[in-house]
Parts: sequence; structure tokens; C-alpha cells
Amino acid sequence: MNETSKKALEGKEKYAVVVEAGLFHYPLNRGEKPHLTGNRCNICDKRFFPKRTGCPYCFKDGDMEDVELDRYGIIYACTLVHIPSPSGIKAPYAYGYVDIPVDRIRVFGLFTGAEPSSFHAGQKVELVIEPIKTDKNGQEVIGYKFKPVENRH
Amino acid sequence: MRDVYLGGVGMTVFGKHLARRLRDLGREACLKAIEESRIHPKEIQAGYCANALGSAIQGETGVGQNVLWELGINKIPIINIENACASGSTALREGWMAIAGGFYDVVLVVGVEKAVMPKGTMLNVGAAELETKLGDVFPGYFALTAKKHMEVYGTTKEQLAQVSVKNHANGILNSYAQFRKEFTVEDVLNSPMIADPITLYSCCPNSDGAAAVILCSEKKAKELSLIPVKVAASVLTTGCYENGADITGWEVEKLAAKEAYDMASLGPEDLNVVEVHDAFTICEIIHYEDLGLCKSGEGGRFIEKGATDLGGLIPVNPSGGLLSKGHPVAASGIAQVVEIVWHLRGQAGKRQVENARIGLAQIMGGGKEGDTKACTVHILVKVQNTITLDCKDNI
Repeated sequence: MNETSKKALEGKEKYAVVVEAGLFHYPLNRGEKPHLTGNRCNICDKRFFPKRTGCPYCFKDGDMEDVELDRYGIIYACTLVHIPSPSGIKAPYAYGYVDIPVDRIRVFGLFTGAEPSSFHAGQKVELVIEPIKTDKNGQEVIGYKFKPVENRH
Repeated sequence: MRDVYLGGVGMTVFGKHLARRLRDLGREACLKAIEESRIHPKEIQAGYCANALGSAIQGETGVGQNVLWELGINKIPIINIENACASGSTALREGWMAIAGGFYDVVLVVGVEKAVMPKGTMLNVGAAELETKLGDVFPGYFALTAKKHMEVYGTTKEQLAQVSVKNHANGILNSYAQFRKEFTVEDVLNSPMIADPITLYSCCPNSDGAAAVILCSEKKAKELSLIPVKVAASVLTTGCYENGADITGWEVEKLAAKEAYDMASLGPEDLNVVEVHDAFTICEIIHYEDLGLCKSGEGGRFIEKGATDLGGLIPVNPSGGLLSKGHPVAASGIAQVVEIVWHLRGQAGKRQVENARIGLAQIMGGGKEGDTKACTVHILVKVQNTITLDCKDNI
């Protein structure tokens, strides 16, 4: 292996594998709170996640702007899956739809940070960025999940 | 627009056909439809072939040409169609349009699939979608709709299970069905949990099989010695993908149903027999509601009171549905229509819905952004018969 390819490999090792590019900022800077990156249409203000190239309602090019979605949401519906997914998520795992009131958007996500069977509709959750699986090369794949909002007294 | 009639229909037994190829299964179904029509393959002017997974599982494309050449059919236009679980019914609509539009008098429509997977594995489709990468699986998506339906309308897990119990009871009467075994509510509820509240026996199997129909113009239909059955409506809709929509029903299906009823000048109260896409138990309950067989939210109570049993108010899935009959993806939409035709022609044997004159078939396919990509509704009507009958039972 020559110096150039060694360097290239070393370079690569610094980057984690993310489940899909552009979903969130990673790695996080010190003190940075995780956010999903969506975009909004400057004409109708509708927000999208994952980001869209154009607004399907306004159908006008070049009017999309990136937005950081609010970190807090409410579970709309959830389930507990008892079989491994073809994409490599180990069972059991919980997932569902989370409504993010601030951005008036619903996103799909995995749940974490509590017993998988404990999640329920109406529960308040917050975003975390963490590994969701290990890929074929043994590399951790970073994704996003939602965990219960801790009660602060 | 011209009226379009059903000619002969046919299907293979659904199940595991490990040693048979797509073209072989397709050939069998086509041959049955052709033979029942008593036409020569060379009379067919166009062929529409639905296959959803051949490129992914068998590495085979252009399945339509492969199947039809097995019947000696060449030179004519042959079109391959993929629309997920609605592939077969989409192909049917393409054939219907071609005859309604006056382009042809006789076309062949076939759906064929080999979807049986090694034990313990699931179909890996939609791998490019973010939800799939994050672990979404088909039973999980429908589990979410079930959980919401239970939360909003008080639907119970026992009511969900009754869909599987009814359809398996019907499947026992159908020699084409993959699983001909009786289940109790307890059997369904105690089978392994897949995605809460969807258990193993709440899911349809992956299957191999094929189904085919001949479609023809009125003029050609009069030449066939078959009870005339007309396509009164053929509708295809695409998902709305409305973020934040209510998931206890499908707008794409309500839209298709309304268009179909309008086209046929009929309503849900006119139907005698219905086949719906019961890939998972919850689906059938929601289809009752979206098709207007009962009010929104009443689907669970509708099955509980036996309204959709054979002999009930409106029998649904007398074939056994996907749950019992099996689900060779692209064949299912056509097999539903085959079943409806058998009932309208009085050929459904022990599961015959008496005096059935009007039937509806609904199927939808492909997940996207919490919605469904494609939905079809077909309404078939038996026309007052003046032709000598020569039909044999298909039991």
C-alpha cells in the first residue's frame, strides 16, 4: 500500500457511516444538540423530511431552504417488531411515527432509551443520534432515534 | 368507450412451486383462460403481463414475452407491468383500456410471481426508502395502522383475528388455496408475534402462482359460450403522501372506490361478493370502511357480527383471501377477479355466493411515506344471459 492510499484510508476511518447522507449533522460538535435537517418551501412554508428537491405542492424550483427540525415530538403510533429487519436491525425493536408540533411534520423513527414495549401513542420523545445497526463490514451505522423525554422536576 | 367483457379465466394452485419457472406457471394460467374461452392463442391481439419481483428474486425481466412464447404467442404487442401488489390489477386495467378504446377485441392479461422465500426471511423490497433502512417492515407498517385503529375506534385484537379465522375457513373450500387449515381466534392470537398486534397468522404468506383472464369486446364476447360478465368499472389511483394524515384509512382507496362506484353507477349496497387485499388482518377491516361496506371505525364490529362471512350480509374474500389462498404478488389482483367471475358465473363450488350478480375486487400496493403507492378497484357485473351455458365448477 502506498502512502497516498494509506492516507486515504486513514481519512476514511475518521468518518462514521451514516444511514443516509444529509439527514442530520454528524459528528456533533461539543455541546451541540442533535437535530434532523429538513427543508421548507419558501412559498407555502411546508416542511419536509428527508429534504426534497422541490415542493410537490408549489412546484417551483429553487425555493427550498434547509431547516433544523425541532428536537421534540409526540408519538403518533408505535409498534414493537419481533423479527429482524432485512436492513439489519436486530429484534426486538420499537418504531413508529413521531409528530413534531413546532414544524407541523410527522417523521418515521426508531425508539430507544426505554423498554421497547413501553412506548405508546401520545408519549413525548426527543431526538438522539446513535448507532442503529452494524453493517456487513462490521462498521457501526449511525442513524437517528427518539427517546422518552425525561421528567425534570 | 366500448364495453369490455371477461372471456375465460384461470389460475394455478397458489403455494410453493419451487421446481417451476415463472414462464411455466404463467403458461398454465393462460392456457386455462384460453381453453375456457375456446379461442386459439393466435386470436389474441395483445398481452399484458404483471410481475413484481422477477428482476429482484429470479433475475428475470421481460417475463411477459417469456410466458406468452410458451403459448406460441409472438409478434403482437406484449407489455410488462409492475405496480407492487397492484401489478396484476393494473395490467387488467391496461387491457380493459385497450379494448374500451377500440384498439383490440381480444387481449390476454396474466399475473405471475414466484415469491416464496427461504424460511425465516422476508422479502427485501423498498430497500432504497429511508423507512426501510431504519428497520420498517411490512407487518410493522400495518401494525401501526392496527394500533391506531384500535386506539381511535376500539377495534379489538380478537376482531382482527376473526379476519384470519373467516378467510381460512373459506380457504378450506378452495382447492387453489395455499393454506387449507382451520384456525380459531386463539390460534391466531397465540401464533408468534411479528409486530404488535400483528401475529404470524395475521400475515399472508409469500407464494408462487399465476392467474390469467381473457378480456374481449362485446362482439367477441357474444361468440364465446360463457356467461357474459362485464367490467363495469376499472380504476387505478396513486397515493396522496399527505404528511400527517390519519392512518386509520387510505384516502387512495376511498378515492378509487368513489370513482369505481360512479363509473358503474352502483354503490356498496349493490354488491353481492367482494375480494379485498387482506395482506394483514387489519387491512381487510379498513377496506370494509374505505369501500363503504360499513361506516368508518365500524370494521371490527362488522366482522364480529359475521356480516362478511359466506352467507352473511356481504361475503368478503370467499376465496380465502391472501391470508389463506396465498399472495403471489403480481398474480393476486388477477386471481381476485378470477374468483369474482367464478361467483358471477356460478362456478365457485362449495363457496358459491348464491345469485351473485355484482362483484368488486380491491387491491393496493407499495408503501411510500406512510401511504400506499397504487390502489385499484374493479367492479364486475353479470349481464342478463341469453347464451347457452357450458360452465364447469371450479372447486
